[in-house]
Amino acid sequence: MFKQATWDVRDTTRVAAFAALIAVLGLPGALPVFGGAVPITLQTLGVMLAGTILGPWRGAAAVLTLEALVLVGLPLLSGGRGGAGVFVGPTAGYLIGWILGAFVTGAIAFSGSARPTWWRTAAACVTGGILVVYAFGIPIQALVTRLPLAETALTSTVFLPGDLVKAVLATAITLTLWRAYPRAFSRRISPTRSRGAGVTR
Amino acid sequence: MISVYRSGTSILHRLPPGLKLIGFIGTSLVIAVTTTHLLEVVAAATFVMTGYAAAGLGARALTSQILAVKWVIVFMLVPQLLFLSALDAVSNTARVVLILVLAALFTMTTRIPDLLDAAERAASPLRRVGIRPESVALLLGLSITSIPVIAGFAATVRDAQRARGISAHRVTFAVPLLIMSLKHADDLADAVNARGIES
Repeated sequence: MFKQATWDVRDTTRVAAFAALIAVLGLPGALPVFGGAVPITLQTLGVMLAGTILGPWRGAAAVLTLEALVLVGLPLLSGGRGGAGVFVGPTAGYLIGWILGAFVTGAIAFSGSARPTWWRTAAACVTGGILVVYAFGIPIQALVTRLPLAETALTSTVFLPGDLVKAVLATAITLTLWRAYPRAFSRRISPTRSRGAGVTR
Repeated sequence: MISVYRSGTSILHRLPPGLKLIGFIGTSLVIAVTTTHLLEVVAAATFVMTGYAAAGLGARALTSQILAVKWVIVFMLVPQLLFLSALDAVSNTARVVLILVLAALFTMTTRIPDLLDAAERAASPLRRVGIRPESVALLLGLSITSIPVIAGFAATVRDAQRARGISAHRVTFAVPLLIMSLKHADDLADAVNARGIES
C-alpha cells in the first residue's frame, strides 16, 4: 500500500480531475457558519472522497494540486476564497490537515481487502477527514488568532455535526460508486477479476 | 476564471514571482510572530500601507481588501471578546487582517501564469525523486482546464435530476458526477497519450 506505484498519465489526469472536482464542490450552496469565515461546504467531502477513491498518494496529490492553485491566486475555496492569504489566515491549519487527511483516509480505506467495506470506509473518513484535519486546524487556528487552545476547540465543535454528516455521505457515495463504477478505484482489482491475477489495470 | 490581478508597472509588479512569494511568506511570519502590542500593530499597518502605495494601489484597493475579509473580522473578534480583554482581541484581529491584506497585495501584483511558470521551475529539483517538472506543469494546467468541464457536469446532473422530478440528493448527485469526472480524466489521459506527451 505504501509502496510508491508507478505513476502514469492516467494518474496525472485523475488527480487533476479530482482537484477540479473539489474546487467545483466549493461552488454551489455553501452553508456559511459565522458568516463564511470557516464555511461548511462539500469541499471536505471531496477531500474524504479523494482518499477513499484515489488512495493515499493520489488523494493527497489531488488536494495538494488544488491548494497549489489556491496559493497562486485562483479563488477555488468555498465562498470564492483564494490567494496566498488563506495559508496565513486562521484556517491555514485546516488546509494543511486536508492534505494529510486525504492521505490517512486513503491509507485506511485501501488497507485490507480490495472491496471497500462500509466500516473501514467510515473509519477512514472519520479518522482522516475529521480527526487529522482538526488535529492540524485547531492548534494553528489558536496560534494565528492567539485565542487559547481550549476555547478555539470549543468554538470549532460547531463544525463537528456537519463533518460527521459528510463522513456518512462519503461512505455511502464510496460504496455506491464501487457498485456502479469499480473502475473509478484506479488501483484496486476490479470485482470481476480474481485477486492475485496480477491485473490491476 | 476571475483574476484579481491589477495590472501595473511598479517595483512589486516587476519582482520575480518566486522571490515575491518567499518575501511575502517571510514578512507574514515576522508580522505574525512579533506583532502583539498596539504600537507594533500600528507599525505593521504602516508597513502594509507603504506596500500598497509602492504597488500604486490606493486607499480604495486597501479598503476593498479589508471589506473582503469582513467575515474573518467578525469571526475572530466575537469569540476573542468573549474570552480575552478588548485590547488583546482588537490587536489580535488587526494582526490577522493585516496579514490577509498583505497576502491580497501579493495576489494583486502577480499574474497567475507567471506563478505557474515559477512553480514548474521550482519543481525541477523533484526530477531527482523521479517527478518530471513538466508533469507538474501538466497537472496544474489540466486541473485549471478541468474546472469548467466538471462544473458543466454538475449542472448536467442537476438538470437531469430536476427533469425527472428528483430533488437534489447528495449521494445520487455525487455518484454520477464522480463517474463523469473520472471518465473525463481517462479520456484526457488517452488524448495526452495519443499526442505522445510523456508525463
